[in-house]
Amino acid sequence: MKKKDEILRMFPAKLREILGQIPGDYEDVQEIRLRAGEPLLVVKDGREYYISPAGQLEKRLCQAAAITPDQIRETVEYMSSYSLYAFEEELRQGFLTLQGGHRVGLAGQAVLEGGRIKTLKYISFLNVRISHQRRGCAEKLLPYLCREGEVLSTLFVSPPRCGKTTILRDLIRLISNGEGIARGMTVGVVDERSELGACYQGVPQNDLGIRTDVLDCCPKASGMMMLIRSMAPEAVAVDEIGSREDLEAIEYARNCGCRLLATVHGNSIEDLKEKPVLRKLVEEKTFDRYVVLSSRIHAGTVEAVYDSRGTPIYESCREKAGLAV
Amino acid sequence: MIRAAGAILICLGAAGLGWEMAFLWRERLNLLVALRQLIYYLKGEILYGHGTLAEALLQSGRKAGGPLGGMFERAAERMELRDGTPFPQIWRSEADKLVSLPLLSGDWERLKALGDSLGYLDLAMQERTLLLYLEQLDESISYLKEHKREKCRLYVSLGIMGGLFLTITFL
Repeated sequence: MKKKDEILRMFPAKLREILGQIPGDYEDVQEIRLRAGEPLLVVKDGREYYISPAGQLEKRLCQAAAITPDQIRETVEYMSSYSLYAFEEELRQGFLTLQGGHRVGLAGQAVLEGGRIKTLKYISFLNVRISHQRRGCAEKLLPYLCREGEVLSTLFVSPPRCGKTTILRDLIRLISNGEGIARGMTVGVVDERSELGACYQGVPQNDLGIRTDVLDCCPKASGMMMLIRSMAPEAVAVDEIGSREDLEAIEYARNCGCRLLATVHGNSIEDLKEKPVLRKLVEEKTFDRYVVLSSRIHAGTVEAVYDSRGTPIYESCREKAGLAV
Repeated sequence: MIRAAGAILICLGAAGLGWEMAFLWRERLNLLVALRQLIYYLKGEILYGHGTLAEALLQSGRKAGGPLGGMFERAAERMELRDGTPFPQIWRSEADKLVSLPLLSGDWERLKALGDSLGYLDLAMQERTLLLYLEQLDESISYLKEHKREKCRLYVSLGIMGGLFLTITFL
């Protein structure tokens, strides 16, 4: 199925009619934003456009098609296949994952119960983020993360929107398929927010490799332990670690002899050392490699790769041949 | 001779009508019982299977079978097509395809109205919607069961008596 058809299938008839007129095959469409009472917007190739009722990309607000609250409600119902009840946990986290790995961010009025978000009501804002898997983006990086053909425990460090999840996803695919390493490894992925595998009805929509098992929508800490006990992975991958429970599970995984692949928010290793929970990880040399990413050149620019002692084995400022992946 | 033949035909025809009415009563009862079973399956699939509406309809329809099960399956398949048609519309159009089944207009209206509420809000809402519909089904089934014997007898007797009455009148 073509990308455009796949994306249009997410929308109810009226919006589909408008969006279907957008020229091109949606390969460079990154986001579609719908806000109740506001113009329909599309982010294409890094630039924002208004969409006219005839589906044309416009730069002038006056020509934009306005989205009604009813259209938002209809779209949410349609996207969830009239089964919002089945997405309660995702709703609590503010997103839905659709077929093809596309994610729909939702905002509206939060309904609280005991101080915890129970659900969202009056959903009035949708951000449809089109999934584009970047195959091969971790290939150049892989040699720095291996020793004797075996991948090492690696932590990706970067601020948000710098591509750490995308690179981790590709790294999982590579080591699972045995590309660039001595042999394919069994990888267990705990995908708490469905960002790595983007599972739809339990099936990963992103290619995570042939030896990958995914535990979707499961809290990282309990999911890691569960996967290790049940699927005996050689490597465990998780996105955005940070809580004390995560650390305990990482400790458990390390003691079981599993390689760890994880991401964390931060700017540098020093940054991690300032955070009480993460400092322990660095001090105890839990990870063999630290990869610091930025969006200096573009998202996924590798600034440096460090070993477990914090010694740089690659630094972008010293290398002529960039590692921008 | 012709008169006698005519009289016999009238009697048989009228009695047949009576039998038909009794048969329809029993058929409606059987269909509503089957529908209740389907709704129980659907409730299970939604509440315990945590499946989407399309999955739940497909599984329960397959499990139950029959014309109503087929309707559930077809509705699920059309949902999976994602051609932009809203679910209530799919549900109603699939229900309309079964109008030849011996259900009353009230039964059809309640079944179609179920499609308007399914999928609305959270899990608790699904349960309440299905329980409400099950309650309505139970009422109809109880009424049909309670009056089955007398009504069936009445229809058959009325058919025969009507046939005799017409025969005597024409003779």
